[in-house]
Amino acid sequence: MKFNVISPKTKTDLLKAMKNETYFRFGAGYTDLIPEMKKMEDIGYSIINLAQLNDQTFRNIKRGQDVIRIGTLATAAQIVNDEFIAENFPVLHQAANCLASSQIRQVATVGGNLCTASPSGDISCALVSIQAQCEILSESGNLRLIPIADFFIGPRKTSMKNNEILRSVIVPINVKHHEVHSGFLKVGTRRSMECSVVSLAYHILTDKKAIIHKAGIAIGAVAPTIRYAEEAGNFLLGKNISSIHPDDSELFANEVLKYASPISDLRASAWYRSEVLFNISKSILE
Amino acid sequence: MSNEKMTEKLKVIGKPQPKIDAGIRITGKAVYGQDIKLPYMLYGAILRSEHPYSGFSIDVSEAKKLEGVVCVITADDVDCNNISYRKDHPILKKGEVNCLRDEIAAVAAESKEIAVQALKLIKVNYKPGHGIYDPFEALKPEARIINKYLKDTGQGKNISHKFLYEHGNLDEEKRKSKEIVSNRFVLPRVTHCCLATSNITADFSPVTKRLTLYSSTQVPFLYQRDMAHALKINPSDIRVVQVVIGGGFGSKLDMYPFEPIAAILSMKTCRPVQIIFDREEEFIASPTRQAMVMDIEAGIDKNGRFTFREANIVIDNGAYTSWGATTPFVMMQTFSSLYHVPACRFESKAVYTNNVYAGSFRGYGNPQATFALESTIDLLAEKLGMSKTEMRLINANFKGETSGQGLTYYTCGHKEALEMVIDKSKNQNSEFGIRNEKRFLFGTGYASMLHVGGGAKIYRSDGCGTRVNLDDYGHLTIITGSTEIGQGSETVLAMLASEELSIPISKIKVINTDTDVKPWDVGVHASRTTFVAGNSLLGAISKLKIKLIKKAAEILQCTIDELIFVNEEIKSEHKNNSVRIEKVVREIHFSQPNELCTENFFYEPSSEFQDKDYKGNVSGAYAFAAQAVKVEVDTYTGNVKVLDVYVAQDVGKVLNPMGLTGQIEGGVLMGVGYGISEELMVENGRILNPNFHNYKMLTASDVPNIHFYPIETNDSQGPYGAKGMAEAPLIPTAAAIANAVADAIQARIYSLPVTPEKILKALKEKNIKHK
Repeated sequence: MKFNVISPKTKTDLLKAMKNETYFRFGAGYTDLIPEMKKMEDIGYSIINLAQLNDQTFRNIKRGQDVIRIGTLATAAQIVNDEFIAENFPVLHQAANCLASSQIRQVATVGGNLCTASPSGDISCALVSIQAQCEILSESGNLRLIPIADFFIGPRKTSMKNNEILRSVIVPINVKHHEVHSGFLKVGTRRSMECSVVSLAYHILTDKKAIIHKAGIAIGAVAPTIRYAEEAGNFLLGKNISSIHPDDSELFANEVLKYASPISDLRASAWYRSEVLFNISKSILE
Repeated sequence: MSNEKMTEKLKVIGKPQPKIDAGIRITGKAVYGQDIKLPYMLYGAILRSEHPYSGFSIDVSEAKKLEGVVCVITADDVDCNNISYRKDHPILKKGEVNCLRDEIAAVAAESKEIAVQALKLIKVNYKPGHGIYDPFEALKPEARIINKYLKDTGQGKNISHKFLYEHGNLDEEKRKSKEIVSNRFVLPRVTHCCLATSNITADFSPVTKRLTLYSSTQVPFLYQRDMAHALKINPSDIRVVQVVIGGGFGSKLDMYPFEPIAAILSMKTCRPVQIIFDREEEFIASPTRQAMVMDIEAGIDKNGRFTFREANIVIDNGAYTSWGATTPFVMMQTFSSLYHVPACRFESKAVYTNNVYAGSFRGYGNPQATFALESTIDLLAEKLGMSKTEMRLINANFKGETSGQGLTYYTCGHKEALEMVIDKSKNQNSEFGIRNEKRFLFGTGYASMLHVGGGAKIYRSDGCGTRVNLDDYGHLTIITGSTEIGQGSETVLAMLASEELSIPISKIKVINTDTDVKPWDVGVHASRTTFVAGNSLLGAISKLKIKLIKKAAEILQCTIDELIFVNEEIKSEHKNNSVRIEKVVREIHFSQPNELCTENFFYEPSSEFQDKDYKGNVSGAYAFAAQAVKVEVDTYTGNVKVLDVYVAQDVGKVLNPMGLTGQIEGGVLMGVGYGISEELMVENGRILNPNFHNYKMLTASDVPNIHFYPIETNDSQGPYGAKGMAEAPLIPTAAAIANAVADAIQARIYSLPVTPEKILKALKEKNIKHK
């Protein structure tokens, strides 16, 4: 297996490499790329290795006044260890914490999880539920910002162009609220080294009277892309989270299910995915 | 001497001893097959069929032209005998392939990359046909013959191996039965997942005409014979050097085509050739546990005593036969002899299909049989309205029993094991039943097992040879025929020798890897090594001790019966004087009788061959165990969380508690995987999940609480009373899990693994019925 590797150290080097190379792939944590390359007869592209890039915007998790900026080279372990995220965005903390295994979390990056655009990406699903934005840098140095829901356009397909790189994801800090009801439910056979068969990310904010005033729901592994279940979230607005009627829980679960179009594959049947999605959706309100 | 008194005096046996090879393994010093590098070595690679059933023609001319390619072979280039237990397996296939693993060409090249590239240059013209993937289809009269190489076709069309066993009066026992249950159980393919993938380095010397094989085989002497037969050479011209084996679990009981292929490439090139599987190849091209369908009928009288069992089993053999086709030997024992049963009829057929072939795997058919039988016992208890534990206890095996098949239990801890796990599992642990929301259901399941514990007389000899050598400095070398595959047997051997001679373990070496050096042994299987190799070692040591004591008595001027071995000395108990063992050795060596302190011993267990009806006392001892499993079932997802596994096992005698616990824990986890997650999925002869991503082998985070209670019955046949124990912990686990899940959800899953999807479906069907 022969291929060319370019390891830019600075943003300038990076942009130059992106300009110079016609066919290239980015390598960051390599947890997906190496298995993929092993399957190929001829690699046919260069690797722009991001592992040595020193640019802190790419690497850090940084809290501003209204947003948290997560560099795409931040690892899953960095997310897990971030106390502010753990406290304010349990959904993201939990999603990062159940990704693969402890060893892989040390190298797998946020950017890799997003750009692989797997329908079962755990960190991606959590970021969709909290309506993060993607900050995309082009080879000419221009930045554009798009809602994460528009980032995924199909299985393993994103809306990024060939001459672009995802630099950060920007998470809006929770609006004024009293309590956060937030979590990530991952269904699979094993407790680690598992790829979600069904996943549900929820991030619900309530006021002092336990009334829901913001609700983000995202589902994974049940559609060609991760889906933001907007109507399901809207359904919850104005309801009291501590006294939701079981009928409403089921109605909510049905709303979530409307966004699912699961397939049968090796890991589970479409029937199973729908059943489980319904069950775990209602479980978050029980 | 009473057991307590003996235990009191023991200094090494029964004390935890880290494995003597632990150091080299954890520091990376162990030489696995993957680490072998010989001068001028070539790298071999195998081209396998793209279709499970197809005619083909092949053109290797382009591959031969590639720079760096030294040799390319197809069936036309070799003159070999067919391999396998039924001699139905050509090493390289000609004109037709019968499963996806089929080897059609092989390459030896200067580098791995070149070898792989050369494979791509081989042109194969396939003419795919309709394969037969269902053994029941293969049994139909109109089915074509799948394996054309089997010479003895007397067992029926497309049947590789058939077993029929009976004892007692079935009709009468059926009449006596108050309740009868009849069910079909379906068992999946699972694979060993050895951490070291299959590997071989073959080194043929054109000068000596001898072949050296660096191999991971579990059965070096049978392997030497099989290889010689395949290659049409003399077995004595083959030297098998066993590398450190990175997992066996039965997968290395047979010789497979890649091994003679490496040998042929080496013989043709006169250079060493190495073949190493990558992980995907390992999943595709290494044998599996038998997938099978079991129809079981069983009865019970009004008092809850078992009356009869009838088992009809169809095994998917795959395209060729391995030793695994003989797993019914073990399965029939479970049906005929686990719990007392007056009548039993057992019939099995290993049926050829165009699927990948099965092999042998830890437990050797017993996990399948135990799952079907123990599920059946629960169903009988439910039907009769009797407690599941009570029913097991009143039917348990007992000391002195000779089963319908002729197995004689000189010691038997079955009832004790059952009582232990029933009692211990009653004391609920902290997690069990706490989350009593309606979402989570809790259940407890029980299962027992019976397995050979003193070898198994299947081959012409079930023996093991040992040579011991005590050197002039008082260090002992044990040269044993037996093989270490990670199970810890060489540590146990060193412990036995240490106990006997009072020599510390640090002064004992175990040599066990070279057929040019070590005496004959049948191989590692049937949980036999501690029992057979242990007894063999004790035989050799006893000869050595006589020699030492004679000389010591001369030196100390006393009688031989007053001498004991203590602290590396031979000591007179009466006179209170002593002499260092090493000094005695030197005296024997350098003065009269001018001999070395070397002794040989060959031990053959007292077990019998079974007759043509499969009756007879096939093992020197029998191991019994019971397990209780507690599970939590999530009714929203169908996920099973195995909370606790209680293991009570009749091990005869605990020799190394640390090694024993390791085997128990590893076995249980393998059983949990078989129970809830593992399955090699095959569709139309193709493997759908040849990777750890979709083959759900469990990880460290899935390990349940394992509570182990060894039961010591001190078998007079075993070394210090020990029995074989290593396969046992895996055998009843899946059965107990399935029973626990049924207890929790009040619905039964009749197939393994008990997946979340099956559970959710069963719950749904149950709810529909109730509504």
